[in-house]
Amino acid sequence: MDFNYVIAMLLVALGLYCLLLKRNLIKIIIGLAVLTDGIHLFLISLGYRAGGTAAIVSGEMFSNLPGFAAQAVDPIPQALVLTSIVINICILALALSLAIYAYRHYKTLNPSKMRRLRG
Amino acid sequence: MAVVVPLAGAFLTPLVDVLAKRMNHPRARDYFALAVTVGTLLLVVDMATSVLGGDILVYKLGGWAPPLGINLAIDGLGLLVGLIVAGISTLVVIYSFVFMRQESGLGQYYTLMLLLTAGMMGVAFTGDIFNLYVFFEIMAISSYALVAFRRSKISIEGAIKYLIVGSLGTSFILLGIALLYGSTGTLNIADIASKLAVINTTSGSTPLISIIALTLFVVGFGIKIGMIPFHAWLPDAYQAAPSPISAIMAGGTAIVGVGALLRVSYFIFGAPMVGPLLIGLGLVTMVLGAFMALVQRDLKRLLAYSGISQMGYILLSIGLGTALGIKGGLFHMLNNAVYKSLLFLAVGAIIYRVKTSRIDELGGLGRKMPITAGVFLVGALALAGMPPFNGFASKLTIFLAGIDAGYPILSGIAAIISVVTLAYMIRAFIAVFLGPQTGRFENVKEAPRSMLFPMMVLAAVCVVLGVLPQLGFSAVEPAQEVLLNPSSYIGEVIPGA
Repeated sequence: MDFNYVIAMLLVALGLYCLLLKRNLIKIIIGLAVLTDGIHLFLISLGYRAGGTAAIVSGEMFSNLPGFAAQAVDPIPQALVLTSIVINICILALALSLAIYAYRHYKTLNPSKMRRLRG
Repeated sequence: MAVVVPLAGAFLTPLVDVLAKRMNHPRARDYFALAVTVGTLLLVVDMATSVLGGDILVYKLGGWAPPLGINLAIDGLGLLVGLIVAGISTLVVIYSFVFMRQESGLGQYYTLMLLLTAGMMGVAFTGDIFNLYVFFEIMAISSYALVAFRRSKISIEGAIKYLIVGSLGTSFILLGIALLYGSTGTLNIADIASKLAVINTTSGSTPLISIIALTLFVVGFGIKIGMIPFHAWLPDAYQAAPSPISAIMAGGTAIVGVGALLRVSYFIFGAPMVGPLLIGLGLVTMVLGAFMALVQRDLKRLLAYSGISQMGYILLSIGLGTALGIKGGLFHMLNNAVYKSLLFLAVGAIIYRVKTSRIDELGGLGRKMPITAGVFLVGALALAGMPPFNGFASKLTIFLAGIDAGYPILSGIAAIISVVTLAYMIRAFIAVFLGPQTGRFENVKEAPRSMLFPMMVLAAVCVVLGVLPQLGFSAVEPAQEVLLNPSSYIGEVIPGA
């Protein structure tokens, strides 16, 4: 259980490292993906319960709702992570397409060499 | 409703675009986009009467009562931001009619513009913190795409910088939300606030986890509003974006960022904890932004840096935490949105006619484009805080608030920076509009009417708010009430809490 949080924070730290220190757009974008995955793992772990059941109420569980609630995992983080994954797909797709355009214009993926804008 | 209309409009725009092309009325989608934004504006104005009366409107999505269901809660702060956003996006759409006419892919342009509006409205009105994140991302993604819209060298560069820094910021916000959810078990802003208050009183101090979450939020939203030291993307993005987009970003998304920062920090964490942080960051942002604006050679970059500097004023004033300070900060936020988008639109008019925004290449345009020069001067003087324009009223309030709160030195620094602002705006005005005419600009004409109209509306607002500041104060007072007294909001959203 605690292990999850450690891994999540490691992923976040790794993602941040990639994002801030790498000098290649593709690596930066991968860093972004790793960073958000770390956050997703963190969120999912918040609602996780070892041996819990899925939070879908059906059949005989209606008769024993408090017992069900004591067993089920928290469904909200799952919903959040699902939403967030979709959002991140959009961002990654946009980022990669921009990286393609950047490569066409500058013939490099090194962001520090893209310096038309300054002042 | 005010969120649904632009969102639905955004999804319908490509359809209207295709239909319009087939029926040989390619302008139809422009008018469609305009109709959607005007509809949004009318909806917000309609809500204004009851919210300004002190009510808080709560919509429960799907009929689930908060704190379990997702809800939209429209209070004074949300309404103020929503009003600014709806007004500016309407004017920017009108402006885009002519400005963007030569571009291709205008269907996408208006789609993204409406999505941006929907995202901004959502952030302003939502009462659910994860919902706020989702709308924030909608707003962010459409603004990345709009910055890259021309796909030229500089717009791709500006967009990619903006995207990477911006998504880092939104990731921080998500992590902050996760921490808050972990410590309170709820996502409703009002509910989080009341539960955190309980945690604080039972443990006697603020737990470390809330401090980390607050830091994450401040960094995340700070990136969006271009707070120094997170400002590096902003001048690039503003310079690279088409001018109407720069205007909507300076007048819309930046304001929405401030609104979201205030909502999260003031409602959830409370003023005493956030105040010194905002004062410090605001001071640095204000001073450095102004000095960086002083040395810029590109008109749009100059405006971008001065926008950063004005954000500093807003944060500083609100950070004071007194009623007067909050009032001044919010009023300045309203004014800043008006004159900053006015200035960006005026620069857009220059770019439209002259095809450059570099200060040293421009000169003597005043005689050729008198109306543009006039509105630019109004915007510049308002920005510098000269009477009788609106910037004067709000800056004066900020100075008074500083003295009132016992920090006369802050007022002094703010006044000095105001003089610096006047210096760089006057320098820009003289360089661009006065001076000898260069031969290249012999055939330059005044900007087309549909571009002048939005600028004149904004300039008129500058003058009206400057002459009658009571109007502005009465618009920001409900927002000030809400920030000073979040418990009424909590009570309104969750009855019995």
